[in-house]
Amino acid sequence: MARTLAMFTDTSLCIGCRACQVACKEWNELPSEQPEWTGSYQNHNTFTDKTYRLVRFIEKPQANGELSWLLMSDVCKHCAQAGCLDACPTGAIYRTEYGTVNINQDVCNGCRYCVSSCPFGVVSFNHDTGRANKCTFCNDRIHNGLGPACAKTCPTESIQFGFRDELVTKAGKRVATLKDMGYKDAQLYGADSNGPLGGLNAFFLLLDKPTTYALPEKPALPQRNVIVDSLLSVGSALLVGVGALLAFRQRGGAAKSAPATDDQVKDGGHA
Amino acid sequence: MLKSPDWHLLIVWYFFLGGIAGGAYFTAAIADNFGSSRDRSVFRVGYVLALLLVSVCGVLLILDLGTPSRFLNMLKSFKFLDPMSIGAWMLGVFGMFAFGSSVLSFVDGERMARLRRRLSLIGIISGFFIAAYTGVLLSATALPFWREARLMGALFLASGASTGMAAISLSLYLFGESAGEGYKKVKRADRYAIMFELVVLAVFLALLGGAAGPIISGHLAPLFWGGLVVAGLVIPLLLDVSGVRLPGVVPAALVLVGGFILRYVIVMANA
Amino acid sequence: MTTNLIDIQHSDVIMCTNNMAENHPVAFQWVMKAKERGAKVIHVDPRFTRTSAVSDIHVPLRSGTNIAFFGGLMNYAIQKNLYFKDYVVHYTNASFLIDPAFKTPTDLGGLFEGLEQTGKGGSDPHVADTYNKSSWKYQLDGEGNPKRDLTLQDPQSVFQLLKRHYSRYTVDMVERVCGIPKAKFVEVAQLYCGTSGREKTGTITYALNLTQHTNGVQNIRALCMLQLLLGNIGRPGGGVVALRGHANVQGATDLELLYHELPGYLPMPLRDAHPDLKTYLEKETPKGGFWVNRPKFMVSLLKAFYGDAATKDNEFGYQWLPKRASADAYSHQHIFVDMYKGKVKAFFCDGQNPAVGGPNAKLARAAMQKLEWLVVVDIFLTETAEVWKTPGTSPKDVPTEVFFIPAAPAAEKDGSLTNTMRLIQGHEKSVKPPGEVQTDAQFVCTLSHRLQKLYARSKKERDQGFLAANFTFGEKPDHPDMELVLKEINGFATEEITDKDGKVVYKKNQPLNTFAHMTDDGKTASGCWIYTGVTVEGPDGKLVNKANAHKPPDKTDYLAHGWAFSWPANRRILYHRASADLEGKPGSEKKKLIWWDPAAPGQTPDKQGKWVGLDVPDFNAFLAPDAKGGDKPFIMRADLVGAFFGPLNDGPFPEHYEPIESPTRNLLSKQQNNPVAKIWSLPEQKNDLASVGSKDYPYVITTYRLTEHHLSGVMSRYLPMLAELFESHFAEISLELAKELGIANGDKVTVSSPRGKIVARAMVTNRLKPFKIDGKTVHQIGVPWHWGWKGVDSLPGSRGDITNDLSATVGDPTVYIQETKAFLCNVKKVEV
Ligand SMILES: Nc1nc2c(c(=O)[nH]1)N[C@H]1C(S)=C(S)[C@@H](COP(=O)(O)OP(=O)(O)OC[C@H]3O[C@@H](n4cnc5c(=O)[nH]c(N)nc54)[C@H](O)[C@@H]3O)O[C@H]1N2
Ligand SMILES: Nc1nc2c(c(=O)[nH]1)N[C@H]1C(S)=C(S)[C@@H](COP(=O)(O)OP(=O)(O)OC[C@H]3O[C@@H](n4cnc5c(=O)[nH]c(N)nc54)[C@H](O)[C@@H]3O)O[C@H]1N2
Ligand code: SF4
Ligand code: SF4
Ligand code: SF4
Ligand code: SF4
Ligand code: SF4
Ligand SMILES: [Mo]
Repeated sequence: MARTLAMFTDTSLCIGCRACQVACKEWNELPSEQPEWTGSYQNHNTFTDKTYRLVRFIEKPQANGELSWLLMSDVCKHCAQAGCLDACPTGAIYRTEYGTVNINQDVCNGCRYCVSSCPFGVVSFNHDTGRANKCTFCNDRIHNGLGPACAKTCPTESIQFGFRDELVTKAGKRVATLKDMGYKDAQLYGADSNGPLGGLNAFFLLLDKPTTYALPEKPALPQRNVIVDSLLSVGSALLVGVGALLAFRQRGGAAKSAPATDDQVKDGGHA
Repeated sequence: MLKSPDWHLLIVWYFFLGGIAGGAYFTAAIADNFGSSRDRSVFRVGYVLALLLVSVCGVLLILDLGTPSRFLNMLKSFKFLDPMSIGAWMLGVFGMFAFGSSVLSFVDGERMARLRRRLSLIGIISGFFIAAYTGVLLSATALPFWREARLMGALFLASGASTGMAAISLSLYLFGESAGEGYKKVKRADRYAIMFELVVLAVFLALLGGAAGPIISGHLAPLFWGGLVVAGLVIPLLLDVSGVRLPGVVPAALVLVGGFILRYVIVMANA
Repeated sequence: MTTNLIDIQHSDVIMCTNNMAENHPVAFQWVMKAKERGAKVIHVDPRFTRTSAVSDIHVPLRSGTNIAFFGGLMNYAIQKNLYFKDYVVHYTNASFLIDPAFKTPTDLGGLFEGLEQTGKGGSDPHVADTYNKSSWKYQLDGEGNPKRDLTLQDPQSVFQLLKRHYSRYTVDMVERVCGIPKAKFVEVAQLYCGTSGREKTGTITYALNLTQHTNGVQNIRALCMLQLLLGNIGRPGGGVVALRGHANVQGATDLELLYHELPGYLPMPLRDAHPDLKTYLEKETPKGGFWVNRPKFMVSLLKAFYGDAATKDNEFGYQWLPKRASADAYSHQHIFVDMYKGKVKAFFCDGQNPAVGGPNAKLARAAMQKLEWLVVVDIFLTETAEVWKTPGTSPKDVPTEVFFIPAAPAAEKDGSLTNTMRLIQGHEKSVKPPGEVQTDAQFVCTLSHRLQKLYARSKKERDQGFLAANFTFGEKPDHPDMELVLKEINGFATEEITDKDGKVVYKKNQPLNTFAHMTDDGKTASGCWIYTGVTVEGPDGKLVNKANAHKPPDKTDYLAHGWAFSWPANRRILYHRASADLEGKPGSEKKKLIWWDPAAPGQTPDKQGKWVGLDVPDFNAFLAPDAKGGDKPFIMRADLVGAFFGPLNDGPFPEHYEPIESPTRNLLSKQQNNPVAKIWSLPEQKNDLASVGSKDYPYVITTYRLTEHHLSGVMSRYLPMLAELFESHFAEISLELAKELGIANGDKVTVSSPRGKIVARAMVTNRLKPFKIDGKTVHQIGVPWHWGWKGVDSLPGSRGDITNDLSATVGDPTVYIQETKAFLCNVKKVEV
């Protein structure tokens, strides 16, 4: 496996220009779609099967009366432990040699299990093609020595592309600097490969707590419950079985081949 | 900002009928192995019901896919801890057991009967699985309430039992077989199943606490309490134990409706 | 712009007064670089925008009160002694003495000395008065040099006048006028004035936020004066960052697609003032500064226009130039008013969409509907091209015959764009234009050739210039070779040029290497002197187009002199003599740019000393610091110093006046508006104005851009991927005003002014806040102006009402720019 690639989105450098959102559409030839009124500059409200990069605009009045307008370019996290990938029954979702997570459109059958298995609500179902879609980490570009279109377009280098280890080091330094500058809530999200989901290959620098950006505090792999839940099911299977067993043994065993008696008829009558 | 898989009625029906199929099969298998020869009507109906319903399930599942033509892609990959993946496989396996058992339940002769019992003793496992796995499938997603529900599989299994048995008793009643001793046994089994389901449901809710919000409060709540708990479980149980004289359709039908509502409210909670 | 975008990364404090992050996102990367380094960013804007979002301080100020703000900062710097003394004394005219008769608004109730009631309009306020500027001048000594007082103590010294003038602009006054809370203003004043001195620099960006006002030019002067006071011009990380508009608007200005100037900032001759070349040159050539070379540039320009037909005997064809009847005519607004009045009968609209983009767009459309014919040259079918089917007008009532010429955009043609930092960048055709689509150059040349045919037999003297003019560049007459066009702009020798000892300096037609080689005898031709050096002749005799040079910046050359060509002379930072002290030593190690190296080999073997450093030295690299003028950075000015005192049509110092439409009386003086502002009176309620503090139009409105859209929207509304980024046309409204008017986020509202009414969706937001003006609450709303009636069918929201139907036809007295940043409106919820 090749050295893991990553995208580092430093929201402290984001000016919310949405060039990345548009560049992604341009490169991936994704059509426009009727936007909804979001009440702010953001469009759309969530990722869609036609919008893989989504710039979030978060107005947050501060205690001191000042306003902060958090700008964040959100994207598929390309999780080291990816719920979508583990959920996919067809193997359409696969991990590339660069550690990115991709959906093979020629295999996906549209069961939508991945949609409900992404802790970040990234994968979206495309009703026209009947397949699931999400950021491809510009699979075609990275396999041809190019960086992702969104990173390439970003005028302020808010989206940086490179080898994960290098970016993580860089990100660490950046947080430190920001803290010194007085951004007390500056923090990395998904950089730690020992952290949730084994780290995110698209990780972020946030200026506020994750939930402010509609990100889960501690994202978890959905599949972690399968074994427990299955064992509990087995347990109840046994109990149910015993119940049925009793029902059929009683009397059944006792009067093996005795003819039907009146009370049985009675019984039968009143069901 | 999580995403719904947009599962609707097709899936509700699939979960519901799959539960009945599984329940009917393991009930039949138990009757077959531990009941008396006079319970033949029971296991015959059970096996056949299972066969019919599992085929319907297959169709529903395929119809729900975004790209139905690619159903078989599910069988091109096998993921042990992926409910959707093994589920697809087991559907096939269960189908074969149901078929075998049904056929054998129509041929006479002790040798054949022995073979049938052996077969169903193994098949019983797939029966339990089909009834339970859809619950685990939901609890292994990233979506709120589902992901919290540790007992989802157990609950689905219990419901599979109650509805499966109700389905058998209903069929027997309709085929005028309600006079037989088997009928009584099924009803007794069903009584235990319903009691068990009530217990599991109670624990299920207790464990969930607030997370159960979408079904215990909110727009689905009336259905849940009225349709499932009262009409689908408590009333049939009371009728049964109180010995009120009513045509057998009524309690069985109520249990079935309750089973459908259970799947409906739970699936729709994240639709 | 005096500096270079790349250099912004060296600023210690950056004050954005426009919406830079949204409208100059690529340039803004350098602000972010500075910020990464720890520089502080201030954003001055009535609205909290994406620029504010990444700034350290957002300063909300009521639209139209910029001079009060900058005046307040100057006053703060002077009172608190925070200005850069050495710089102010030696590099500006602060020490110059002004005519004793001169008085400032402090003494004349808001007016400067010399206001003349022309009385033309009688009581009609819509007729501008003019100033008699006779007292707006320096006191001269015996030799005619300005008298100076280097102690800055003389009461008639510019500095003392300035100090007195702005003494009224106190912190309290700023709060009352601009609505900026005292504490916030002081915080900003301390931070920004802290950039004064040798070790620090600050830069200020501006664009329409300052220009689109009836005192637009004075707004910008105020900014420049603050920078002079803090010694921030000509030094690394300093400067005045004028952020231009269209990708090539700088080029359009340099080449002067303007009514008042000829290419290279030479004044457009006036009919009466400039009857002949001699008078023109005498009147327009100053005694000092680099403009003493104006005759060389003018004659070279005429040679470029008329070629061999331009000779000494015919004043190089000067008489063929059209002349202005008056300075107060021909601006964009003048033209549309005259069009509406039927004076202008035909209109060539090349790459513009005034039906949407022009101020008072209803007037603009009505005017164009009165034309006999209209030619629209555009890459899209614009609202202007379809002005005859404006919603609400029936085509049969519109006599105008419209011709549409499809044009090729940048990607479909060779050429160059000059960006906001004077950088001439070449681009090559990447795709062939479809069908019959022509490039603009093709169109102009083809058209000219056809016209020349039609005029061929004309004996009229006035036509001879046009007939002599050359519109052929290269072999194919109708396919101009853009490199040759650039060569003509660059300049070339019209005949062999030899030096005094007969050595050939230039062969005939050889491109000039520098404008220093231009002459006023017709031996050189140049279409725009400031561009000289962009195309030179390589050793192989082939043209080298430096606009195509692509060497990125590196450690040794952070200003990237190898990337394209920056006029003048590939200099990246102007007036940088100011970065060195009087002796020519770097002002400081941290902020060094160029300095005098006494050891360096001089101009001639016998001499020593040269200006060296990180940029191309300002003119004459061999002029020693102690030589005459060697200590003067502002070479484009006759007096070679930065001007605090700088006579414009509306005064030598910026003074705050309220916008023509304002919610309040002027709190600084009894003079409500700029006394000489241009206000057109038009029939049929075409330009009605709201009165001061109008009850019918109680709210301030400002109009602006969004990153996602481009200008009149043709280049974004028509493109699905951009059009989808906003659901529909909207108006930004504060929570407070929304509450008052019972408006919820997303409600449809009408926004109306005396000129018109539009419907948009209310975006209720924390990003706008009401102002406290003189104790009273004043609400301001914001409306982007990118929408029009055409768009993408699949996206209904890409169509919308025209914001400019609200704006008025009023203008600044010097350049006649519209006042679309500050006027009055009313807002009502649309009941459904
Ligand atoms: N994406 C994009 N970029 C563009 C353009 C575009 O259409 N789209 N247009 C280009 C063109 S042609 C130009 S000229 C430039 C214009 O660049 P800008 O001048 O930045 O553009 P505007 O948005 O018109 O105005 C800037 C800001 O001025 C604020 N403002 C209003 N009144 C005042 C005031 O009195 N003082 C201060 N300090 N601020 C005030 C407004 O709230 C607005 O946010 O942008 C260029 N860049
Ligand atoms: N209310 C309000 N009004 C304003 C402003 C404001 O801030 N507020 N801003 C003002 C400013 S700063 C400006 S610059 C104006 C802009 O106003 P306009 O210049 O009228 O608006 P644009 O949409 O830029 O029009 C440019 C046209 O050129 C076309 N075009 C693009 N490339 C080419 C080409 O290569 N050749 C040809 N022939 N055509 C081409 C485009 O399709 C477009 O139709 O608007 C002004 N109006
Ligand atoms: S973010 Fe969601 S879609 Fe992306 S890799 Fe992780 S789980 Fe899959
Ligand atoms: S929708 Fe496609 S990608 Fe998603 S899980 Fe199903 S098959 Fe895999
Ligand atoms: S990496 Fe490629 S696909 Fe993913 S968001 Fe960026 S541009 Fe879009
Ligand atoms: S392109 Fe960069 S700056 Fe612009 S929105 Fe995207 S991430 Fe932010
Ligand atoms: S559109 Fe062009 S000119 Fe405007 S910011 Fe982007 S790159 Fe610069
Ligand atoms: Mo502009």
